[in-house]
Amino acid sequence: MDKQFNFEQVGKRMPYNVPDGFFDQLEQNVIAEVMPDDTVTEKSKVRARTVKMAIHTILAAAAAVALFFVVTKNLPSDDTQADTFEFVELAYNNLSNEDQEFLIDVYEEDVFIIENEEMNY
Amino acid sequence: MVGDKDIIKAVRETPEHGFRLLMASYKEPVYWHIRRLVVSHADAQDAAQETFVRIFRNFSQYNEENSFKAWIFRIATNEALRLLGRQKGDMMLSLDEVTADMLGTKTDEYFDSSDAITMKLQQAILQLPAKQQLAFNLRYYDELSYDEIAEVAGSTAASMKVSYNIAKEKIIAYMNNND
Repeated sequence: MDKQFNFEQVGKRMPYNVPDGFFDQLEQNVIAEVMPDDTVTEKSKVRARTVKMAIHTILAAAAAVALFFVVTKNLPSDDTQADTFEFVELAYNNLSNEDQEFLIDVYEEDVFIIENEEMNY
Repeated sequence: MVGDKDIIKAVRETPEHGFRLLMASYKEPVYWHIRRLVVSHADAQDAAQETFVRIFRNFSQYNEENSFKAWIFRIATNEALRLLGRQKGDMMLSLDEVTADMLGTKTDEYFDSSDAITMKLQQAILQLPAKQQLAFNLRYYDELSYDEIAEVAGSTAASMKVSYNIAKEKIIAYMNNND
C-alpha cells in the first residue's frame, strides 16, 4: 500500500517548546529595554505631576512662614510705625545679602504681589 | 483580535500602550518564525527580543503602503540571519548565503523528541535552501500571502510561489523516503 505523507497528519505541530511564562517574560524584557525611565505611563506621569505640585505648595508655604518670621524679627519695636513702608524697607535692608536674595528669588514672580503693586500705582 | 491598523495608530498615539498591543499580537508568531530558522530556544529568544527592540526603534521608518506583518517578519528574518551570521563569524548573511547545514544545528532542552513525525517534518524543512524554507514556513505556518512573503524575502510573489511549491514537493519526497 502506498503510504503518502499528508500535511494534515502533522498540521502546525512542532517538536519545540518554551519555558513556562516565557512569552510574558519576553514582553517584559523588551518593554524594559525600549521604554527609558523618562518614558513612563500616563498614570505615573499624572502621579509625578501631583507630587511636584504638592512639593511646590509645601515650599511656597514654608517660604511664606520664613518670610513672616524674618521680617517680624527685624522690625523695630515701635509698633506705631510697624506697618509703614519705610520700616518694611528698613527691615529688608537689615537682612543679610543671602536672605535678601532668597526673598527676591521666592517672590519676584509672585503674581499676587505683582498684581497688588500694579493696583497701587 | 486587534488589527494591524489599530496597532499602528496606537503606537503612534501612545507608544507604550501601542507597543504592548503589538507584542500581544506578534510575540508568539515572531518567536516561532525565528525558532524554526535557528532551532535553539536560547538563540530564538535573543533574536526575538532584538527583533522587537528594532521594531520599536525603527517604527517611524515603517511605510504604511506596505504590509505591516511583512515588515515585522522581515525584521525577524534579518535578526535570525544576523544571529546565524555571527555564529559563522560574519556580521550578516543574505538568504542566498545560508546553507541548510547552518540552519538548526543546535537543539536544547526545549525540544520534544517524542513526537517523531513533527521532528521529521522539521528535519525535512531544514534540508531546504533558505529561500525555499522561508517561503514554506511563512506560507504554511504563518499564512502570509505570496506578496507578503515576497516583501519579507525581497523577491517577487511569483518567485516565492514557485519556491513554496518546490519546497512542498521536496518535503513530501523526504517524508515518504526517509523512514
